[in-house]
Amino acid sequence: MKAIQEFTKGIIKENPVFVMALGLCPVLAVSTSVQNAIGMGAAATFVLVCSNIFISLLKNFIPSKVRIPCYILVIASFVTIVDMAMEAYVPPLHKSLGIFIPLIVVNCIILGRAEAFASKNGVFKSMLDGLGMGVGFMLAIIVIASIREFLGVGTILDIRILPASYKPMIAAILPPGAFITIGLLMGLLSILQNKKKSKA
Amino acid sequence: MDFSTLFIIIIGSIFVNNFVIHRFLGLCPYIGVSKKMDSAFGMGMAVIFVMTMASTITWLIYTFFLNKATSIFGIDLTFLRTIAFILSIAVLVQFVEMVIKKAAPELYKALGIYLPLITTNCAVLGVSLLNINENYNFIESIVNGAAAGVGFTLVLVLMAGIRERLEYSKVPKSMKGMPISFIVAGCMALAFLGFSGMKF
Amino acid sequence: MKDFIRPTLVLLIICVISGAILAFIYQQTAPLIAENKLKAEEAARRLVLPDAEFFKPVSDSSEVLYYEGYSADSTLVGYIFSCVQYGYSSDVKTIVGLTPELMISAITVVSQAETPGLGANCTKDDFTAQFTGKNPDNIYVDKDGGDIQSLTGATITTRAVTNAIRDAFQKLQDRL
Repeated sequence: MKAIQEFTKGIIKENPVFVMALGLCPVLAVSTSVQNAIGMGAAATFVLVCSNIFISLLKNFIPSKVRIPCYILVIASFVTIVDMAMEAYVPPLHKSLGIFIPLIVVNCIILGRAEAFASKNGVFKSMLDGLGMGVGFMLAIIVIASIREFLGVGTILDIRILPASYKPMIAAILPPGAFITIGLLMGLLSILQNKKKSKA
Repeated sequence: MDFSTLFIIIIGSIFVNNFVIHRFLGLCPYIGVSKKMDSAFGMGMAVIFVMTMASTITWLIYTFFLNKATSIFGIDLTFLRTIAFILSIAVLVQFVEMVIKKAAPELYKALGIYLPLITTNCAVLGVSLLNINENYNFIESIVNGAAAGVGFTLVLVLMAGIRERLEYSKVPKSMKGMPISFIVAGCMALAFLGFSGMKF
Repeated sequence: MKDFIRPTLVLLIICVISGAILAFIYQQTAPLIAENKLKAEEAARRLVLPDAEFFKPVSDSSEVLYYEGYSADSTLVGYIFSCVQYGYSSDVKTIVGLTPELMISAITVVSQAETPGLGANCTKDDFTAQFTGKNPDNIYVDKDGGDIQSLTGATITTRAVTNAIRDAFQKLQDRL
């Protein structure tokens, strides 16, 4: 497989959120605004890329018996770094993402990629894989957040799209809105896939 | 001991701030293990058990090792809390698995397959971090852990009940499986919104 | 025995290395984080008492009760206190600035987790602006017969802000 495919597969074909349904908790929780979505996506991508690189580097050094604790340690270290850096440099974003920054540790995408990809592949490939998965994850949250912010507030990235007289559909930024949005999006995706299949 | 505070914590964690529906924690098992009623129940019991234990242990670790004011070392190690918590949860789950296997093989048969999944259940790490954020004392942390587990089990079992019936209903082809589950979760979240703002 | 030593050793090495790296980064970021907190508090104080140049905390034996704000030539231009009350789903914390005549100069809501789109609008300027110039001793929400307009669909949040200010002021009144 070409190197570029390692990157692009995570964005659509193996999109971690829509196709593999991994890492849903942060996706639903922080998608109340596009700004939060970008922050969360960037933080998770950073952790994903770094942990993939390090685990791929250490793959011959780590005995297979204790590999999961080792992966968790590496991931948790990077998460803590992100946590501290965000608190120091972007405190408002840190506050609005809150508990979901330390919870990146248990995001199944990251441990999943470490186990399924980085522990078997070279550094460069692992980095691209992490980047692709991270971008795919970020895009998924941004899509959901755009829909919710658009309907629930009438803005995207705090820029007003709908006129101020628009009465916001508040349910969209409340928890039910998150579940229903992702449900409908997944339904839409499977309609598209079914069409593709029947054509082929 | 003030029982009314404990009562508020219990009601709060089960209904008002339900971990799955309101805080978006533990969504993976919520969608993944809710196909059958008995497996949902088994998973729920395992989660209640691990969450209570994890709340106990992480509170002790935080208080006696990490927090400067109460630590036996007298240095501030709070920045290590994510790593310390996730490692102790991982060790705890392994340990519980071994003990149950030896001491109660019947119980192990029922819960065993769910235990490894719990390490990466973000609700467990989430409850540990929330206990610290909310400044709960020892008893309050344990009660909160147990109540959060009960809340998780409640919605998991409800969801399983609904999904067992969904099997026999006419769902549009593209909405089958995950999409319709999310829509159901959305409806459940709407119902749970009725609890928010409850005061005592 | 050998298969036991190597895994333990590797785990230990990774633990030590990551602990050391984190300790280093913590040392780098901790002062910045502390500074950010101070800056945010300072910014909130400046917002509610724009005339003040510097602030002096006034405390009893255990905690800071309120701040006095002074202009550049050290004349007293007002007081600042903070108050908190449980709203609809969270504690709503407000910082209040008072003129020397004990009228509200401005307020700002510094922390809350109310319903987005409803109660969370209490941080918006259109809402907080209506407190300016009011007597904190006598503010009530419109539904309680006062003249503070409640937020659409969030009377409870509005009441939490209003009542918190009034209660805190009445407690402090004799000291100012």
